[in-house]
Amino acid sequence: MQVRYRSGSRPAAVKVIVGVLVVSALVMAALGWSASAYYVPALCLLLQAALLWSGRGFGLFRSILLVNLLSGLALVLVLWLGDGLGSRKLDLSGALLLVHLLCGGPLMAAWGGLLLPALRRGTSMFQWFNPRWA
Amino acid sequence: MNMCTPLRALALAIACLAFAPAGRSATFQGTVTRPDGRPAFGAMVSVFNAARNQKQTVYTAADGSYAIVTPYSGSLDVRARLANYDDALVTVDAQPDATSRLDLVLRPFADPQGASDALSASAHNAVLPWKRADDRHVFVSQCNYCHQIGNSTTRAPRSHDAWLATINKMEGYLAMLTKAQSIRFASVFEQGFDGQPVKATHDYGPTPELARAKVEEWQIGDGFSFIHDMDVAEDGRFYGTDEGHDVLWVLDPRSGGIERHELPKSDLPRGGLFAGMHLAIGIFTGSHGPHSMAQTSDGRIWITNALSSTIMSFDPKTKRFETYPVPGDALYPHTIRVDRDDVLWFTIVASNQIGRLDPKTEQMTVMRLPSNGFFRWVSDMLFPTLLRISSWFPDRALLLDFSHHRFLGYTVLAFPYGIDVNPKDGSVWYAKLYANRIGRIDPRTLEVTEYETPLKGPRRPRFDADGIFWIPSFDEGALMRFDPATAKFDSWKVPGVAPGEYETPYALNVHRPTGEIWMAANNSDRILRFSPATQTFRSYPSPTRVTFLRDFSFTKNGRVCSSQSNLPAYAIEGAVPAYICVDPAGGERDRAAAAEAFAAAPGGSEPARIE
Repeated sequence: MQVRYRSGSRPAAVKVIVGVLVVSALVMAALGWSASAYYVPALCLLLQAALLWSGRGFGLFRSILLVNLLSGLALVLVLWLGDGLGSRKLDLSGALLLVHLLCGGPLMAAWGGLLLPALRRGTSMFQWFNPRWA
Repeated sequence: MNMCTPLRALALAIACLAFAPAGRSATFQGTVTRPDGRPAFGAMVSVFNAARNQKQTVYTAADGSYAIVTPYSGSLDVRARLANYDDALVTVDAQPDATSRLDLVLRPFADPQGASDALSASAHNAVLPWKRADDRHVFVSQCNYCHQIGNSTTRAPRSHDAWLATINKMEGYLAMLTKAQSIRFASVFEQGFDGQPVKATHDYGPTPELARAKVEEWQIGDGFSFIHDMDVAEDGRFYGTDEGHDVLWVLDPRSGGIERHELPKSDLPRGGLFAGMHLAIGIFTGSHGPHSMAQTSDGRIWITNALSSTIMSFDPKTKRFETYPVPGDALYPHTIRVDRDDVLWFTIVASNQIGRLDPKTEQMTVMRLPSNGFFRWVSDMLFPTLLRISSWFPDRALLLDFSHHRFLGYTVLAFPYGIDVNPKDGSVWYAKLYANRIGRIDPRTLEVTEYETPLKGPRRPRFDADGIFWIPSFDEGALMRFDPATAKFDSWKVPGVAPGEYETPYALNVHRPTGEIWMAANNSDRILRFSPATQTFRSYPSPTRVTFLRDFSFTKNGRVCSSQSNLPAYAIEGAVPAYICVDPAGGERDRAAAAEAFAAAPGGSEPARIE
């Protein structure tokens, strides 16, 4: 049986990052009022915030971050260097964009670069998600 | 000639003499007077052919006189029209080669609604209660480029929800509003277009020069045709691109004969690469979207296919089309011109690019233009991708759910639009409609230099023979002059027809032998002529209500021509689009010919003359 941190012992970094994710989700939701596709990354950001707050779903949390970053990076590369792909270029970039938005979109990517290193074993974030490894 | 009784109008026709000189049909002369007996200066006298699909129009002189020589015979409608008065309309049974005197008297409108209905769109949209100046600016930019807002179709009263649905439909055609603007616009339209009569007194500024002119119109296609541009080719025939139906309409103005050439089918679905947008059913039935044309010295007509991102050539001799795909992720090839080396240059609006096609080598290259800011760079990168995602879900306009213009506005696109070649040095110049810039491309090095325009909405510019770049400012209703040698701008506000009304100069062309600029005034059913020597505008009111013109082209004998291109075409008076030509001296020639005819006729009366 997993041992959970009490909310009072939640690391400060977790609280800060959850706050950042929630604000990011609100920004995306505000954009979603104008362009509804942005509700999708807003929901994803909220999901990430919930996972981080509760300290559950470490694998899912990290996977979403990874897929977000990789799809964003691949999207940039395809748009930049993908002319050789011919008409497939836009199909590929379209699919990558959808995946990227599904996994939190550009704001998630902005924070993801900082978050991923903080999820390495031995960090307080890692311990928060994985208390039995503490 | 027998005069029939007036059928539809409150006209009083004093008909008179009928003679039969040889060599011409249905010649009329007479006067048009106002209800109080004063001569009607600048009134349009239009003669419709028996099939009611062509008409010719002259303007009355200061003494109210007119004369018109038409090729028509049979049962003809003759109509006199002047702003602020009700039409005078009679039907005349004209025998071949007949000449008659016909005096027409205008009447006041029977009621305020009639007076309101006769006003151009400019009067109706002038009463829209804008609370924010920037909203009005966006309205002019985004709601006036496919059609008039305020004509009988677009001013129909609607509820807020109905306006929202209408605006959403327009966004499906790429009107780029933010969500918040959509909601505010719906409120303004609901309040402003309430069905109550609008009061305005319009002044089209008649001049003696106007009385020298003659207008000819030939209906083309049907009420669902969307003829974007019309060009006069070297063979003297008029070529028009039906962007909705993938058809090239060819008119021989001498015979009135019309040819319909269907573009070859593509593999793309209806709407082409824009299949994901919400294109109007019935109007957009094709997948190529032929848009703009230019002719090379070998006689081939080159067409930008906006929806399929291809360039297509049409050989008038063989009637064959050939297709040249634009490489890369180019979106919406727009305006095309030919340089002095017979090389084609065209703008690609939605992906901020310029294309170059050498017909001799059939080599095509596409160059990306400067993005002009971070958000436009994002658009340049992502807009084609968003459109591709949209195309996976046809007719859903999914782009609107993704695009950042929904919260940042239309200026997230640069939109390279009009293009022309400087006759002085062969350089290629373009106008960026949404980035408010013009740019020069060195045709050898492809080096780009851009200049910010002092006024917004540079649309379809042209060079004069001296290398001066003339640019219509669509958003601010003005004409700009740019001298590449000094990089200096000058500008002139386009006069409206009443205080508080604005104008939307969509396109212009320079008649190089005279240096005069002819431009569209699509909000008030006019064609404008600007003389650089006197820096004055002259106004040619259109005989057709809901006149919405795009590119201008000249015939060898000096007529300036364009296409009636309002969307939908069934909103145009007569419910069918047309090719239209203004002959600046055609009315004067008709007066001379009519005078000759009347003098030769037995018992003929003295024809009226311009004073």
